[in-house]
Amino acid sequence: MSMVAVNQAEEPKAGSRWILPLIVVLLVAAVAGYIAGAELDSIESRALEASNIVEKTWQHVRLVLVSTAVVIALGVPLGIVLSRRWARFVRPPVLLVANAGQAVPSVGILVLLAIAVGVGFRMAVVALVAYALLPILRNTIVGLQQVDPAVIDAARGMGMSPARLLWKVELPLAVPVMLAGIRVALILNVGVATLATFTNAGGLGDLIEGGIATNRMPVLAVGCALTIALALLVDWLAGTAERALSPKGI
Amino acid sequence: MSDSVATESMIRLVEVTKRYPNTPADAVRPLSMEIRRGEFVVFVGPSGCGKTTMLRMINRLIEPTAGQIWIDGRDVTHTDPDELRRHIGYVIQQVGLMPHMSVARNISLVPEMLGWDKRRTAARVDELLDLVGLEPGTFRARYPKQLSGGQQQRVGVARALAADPPLMLMDEPFGAIDPIARDRLQDEFLALQERIRKTIVFVTHDIDEALKLGDRIAIFAEGSRLAQFDTPREILSRPADDFVRSFIGERAAIRLLSVVTVGEVAGRAPATDRPGEALSAQPEEPVSAVLDRMLTQNRQILEVGGKRVLAQDLLFASTGDRQDPA
Amino acid sequence: MDFFSYVSQHWERISFLGMQHLQLVLIAVLCAGVVSLGLVAATERLPRVRAALLSFTGTLLTIPSFALFALLIPVFGLGVLPTILALTVYAVFPIARNTVTGLEGVDPSVIDAARGMGMSATRRLFLVRLPLAWPVILNGFRVATIMVVATAAIGAAVNGPGLGELIFRGLSRIGGANALNEALSGVVAIAVVAAVLDLIFVAIGKLTTSKGLHV
Ligand SMILES: Nc1ncnc2c1ncn2[C@@H]1O[C@H](COP(=O)(O)OP(=O)(O)O)[C@@H](O)[C@H]1O
Ligand SMILES: [Mg+2]
Repeated sequence: MSMVAVNQAEEPKAGSRWILPLIVVLLVAAVAGYIAGAELDSIESRALEASNIVEKTWQHVRLVLVSTAVVIALGVPLGIVLSRRWARFVRPPVLLVANAGQAVPSVGILVLLAIAVGVGFRMAVVALVAYALLPILRNTIVGLQQVDPAVIDAARGMGMSPARLLWKVELPLAVPVMLAGIRVALILNVGVATLATFTNAGGLGDLIEGGIATNRMPVLAVGCALTIALALLVDWLAGTAERALSPKGI
Repeated sequence: MSDSVATESMIRLVEVTKRYPNTPADAVRPLSMEIRRGEFVVFVGPSGCGKTTMLRMINRLIEPTAGQIWIDGRDVTHTDPDELRRHIGYVIQQVGLMPHMSVARNISLVPEMLGWDKRRTAARVDELLDLVGLEPGTFRARYPKQLSGGQQQRVGVARALAADPPLMLMDEPFGAIDPIARDRLQDEFLALQERIRKTIVFVTHDIDEALKLGDRIAIFAEGSRLAQFDTPREILSRPADDFVRSFIGERAAIRLLSVVTVGEVAGRAPATDRPGEALSAQPEEPVSAVLDRMLTQNRQILEVGGKRVLAQDLLFASTGDRQDPA
Repeated sequence: MDFFSYVSQHWERISFLGMQHLQLVLIAVLCAGVVSLGLVAATERLPRVRAALLSFTGTLLTIPSFALFALLIPVFGLGVLPTILALTVYAVFPIARNTVTGLEGVDPSVIDAARGMGMSATRRLFLVRLPLAWPVILNGFRVATIMVVATAAIGAAVNGPGLGELIFRGLSRIGGANALNEALSGVVAIAVVAAVLDLIFVAIGKLTTSKGLHV
C-alpha cells in the first residue's frame, strides 16, 4: 500500500464523494451495535470496553498525527532544497536511496529500531517518519520540477526574485502533487501505526494482535473494522483537503 | 529638430559575446549594434543562430561572457537583474502565464512588485485588456486555461506592458499561433505600436513576419554572423550577400511591392497622358495593395497626388532600384 | 556474533524462507495479474464500471495490511491462504491501473491508422495496442511485485510463510543474543528479493519492449 500513487487525485463524482464517509459511519455503527448486543466473555468485554477502544483509537490517531507532522516538516523543506538547480548532483542519489528504502518492509524498520534502540511511542514515530518520508520528498521534488519552464522563464523575465518565484509561482503550482504525496504519507502512517502494537506503542493494532493472541475473534474483528474505518476516513479527509487546497485554474 | 529624442539610442550592444560552458563555439559571436528609441527591430535568422540567446542577454536572463549592454544610457551588465527586468517587457512564444492566477492577477504582477497601489493597478489592468482587444469584464477573472492560444498571447502582451516599460523583448511571440490568428495579431500589434511607440526587439525565424513588422531587420546567419541590419526595403532591394538573398528567398521583387508606398514610387515613374478612368490612392498606401485594387477593378491607370501613372510603370519603378547581379 | 557469521550459520533457513517468500509473491502477483487483466478486458466497453472498479481497488489499497491479513483469519484460519489472498488484493490496483493507463495512452492517431488499413479489433489489440501499452503494463506488474515483497513480511504476523518470520522471531526474542541479527537478516533478505525481482523486471522490459519504443 504505497509508492503507487504520485498523482492519485482522480476527481470523484459529486455523489460518490460521500460513499467513503458513509461506509465509515456504517462500520462504526456496526461495531457499536455488535458490542452492545453480543455475548462477550470476560476477556472480550475487557478488551472491548468503550474506554479501552477510545484509548487505542486515540493512541493510533496520535501516532499518525505526530509522525505526519514531523514528516511534512522534514520532507517538504528537504524536497525544496533538493529541487534547486545547485542540488542537481545530490538529487539522483538521494532519490535512489529513498526509492530503495521502499523495498524495506515497514514492520522491519519498526522491529529493528525496537531491538536496537527501544520500544514505545517515540521509536514508533521515528519508524513511521522514516517510512513516510519518501512520498513527501519525491512528490515535493516532482511537483516543483513539473512546473512549466516557460512559466518560470516568464516570471524571471518580469523580474521576480528567486524567493518570490518560489513562493508565488513554484510552490503554488506544486501544491497538488505535494498534497498527493502527503495523502500517501498519511495513509502509509495509518497502516504502519497498526504495527506499532508489536513494539508496545499501542494503537488499534493492540486489539487485532490481542484478538489473535487470545484467539478472540470478536476483538480481532472490532480492531480490524475500526482500523479500516480510520484508514478510509483519513483517506477521505485527505482527498477532500487536497481538492480544497489546490489552487484554482490548474 | 523635433525628432532628436526619437533618434536617441535606446540599446547599445558593444562586442556582446556568449559562449555556453562546455561548448566548442560561441553561441553569439562578438556583436555590436545600436537600437534607437521607439524603433521596432526584428532579429531574424535560421534556428540555432543565437537569436534567443542574444535577446535574453538584454534582460540578463543569460549573462554575457563578454561585452557591454547599454540600455537608456546605462551599462546594465552590473545592475540588479531583477530590478532591470521589472522595467523591460518580456514576451515568449509559450506565453508562460501563471496558470494558478487569473488574467488580472497575471497582469498585476509587475505593478505589484513595483509597489503600485491596488486602485492604480486595477485601472491599469482594465486599460491594458482594452488595449489588446479583450473585454475587461469578460476576461479579468478568467484563468489562462479558459483562453484560446491567441487570447493567451494577448494577455502575455498586456502583462509585458503592465508597468509601461520603454522597452519590450519578444521571442517568437506569435510562433505557436495558427496562421490566420497570427496575421490578425500582427496587424493589431502594429496598430498598437503606432500608439504606444515602444522600443521593441522582436525575434522570429519567419522572414515574412520580419518584413511585415520591423522598422529595421537584423538578419543573422549560422554561427550568429550578422549578415545585414537594415530596413526591409533596403534588404529586399539590396541584399548584402548570398546568404541574405537566399534567406529572403524567391520573389524578393514581389515582396518589395508591399514595402514601398505608391507615393514615393509614383514620383519616380513617368506620368502618362493616356485617357481612361484612373484608380485613386493615398500616397502612404503600399504598392501591392493598390495594384491589387487596380487588378480587381480593371484599371490600368493610377492617380496619386494629382499624377497619373500607368500600372506597368508603377511596377517597374517600384522594383527598379533593386540590385541583383544575375 | 556479527551479522555475516550469523547469516552463514543460518543460511539454510534464510534461503528456505527466501524461496517461500518468492513463491508467495509470484503466486499473488500472478493471481492479481489474471484478475486485473480480466477486469480490464471485461470493462473494455464499460468505462464507468471500469472507473468505479479502479477507484474501489484503489481504496482497498488504503486498508492497513495488518488489518486485512487479520480479517481473513476468521474466514480462512491462520497461514498461507489468507496471506496470498491479502497480497493479491493489494497487487490488483497497480496492475489494473497501469494497464488502463497504458492502453488509454496509446496515440489515437496510430489506432486510427490501424483501422484505416483494415485491421480487426483483435488484430489491433495484439498488434498495436498491447505492444505500445506494454512498457506501462509491465511497470504496473513491477510496482505491484515490489510492494507485495515488502507487504508479505506482515503475513508472518498471521503465521504466514516467508521472510517475515525472521523479523517477528527476532522481535519475540528481544534482548536475546541474536535478536537483532535475526530481524536484520529478514529485512535484508526481503530487500535482496525485491532488488532481484526489480532487476528481472528490467531485463524482461529490455527483452520484450519493441526497439522502436526505447529511443
Ligand atoms: N543553455 C544552453 N547551453 C548550451 N548551448 C545552448 C544553450 N542554449 C542555447 N544553446 C546553443 O546556442 C545556440 C543558439 O541558440 P538559440 O539562441 O536558442 O538560437 P535561436 O533562438 O536562434 O534558435 C544553439 O546552437 C544552441 O544549441
Ligand atoms: Mg529561439
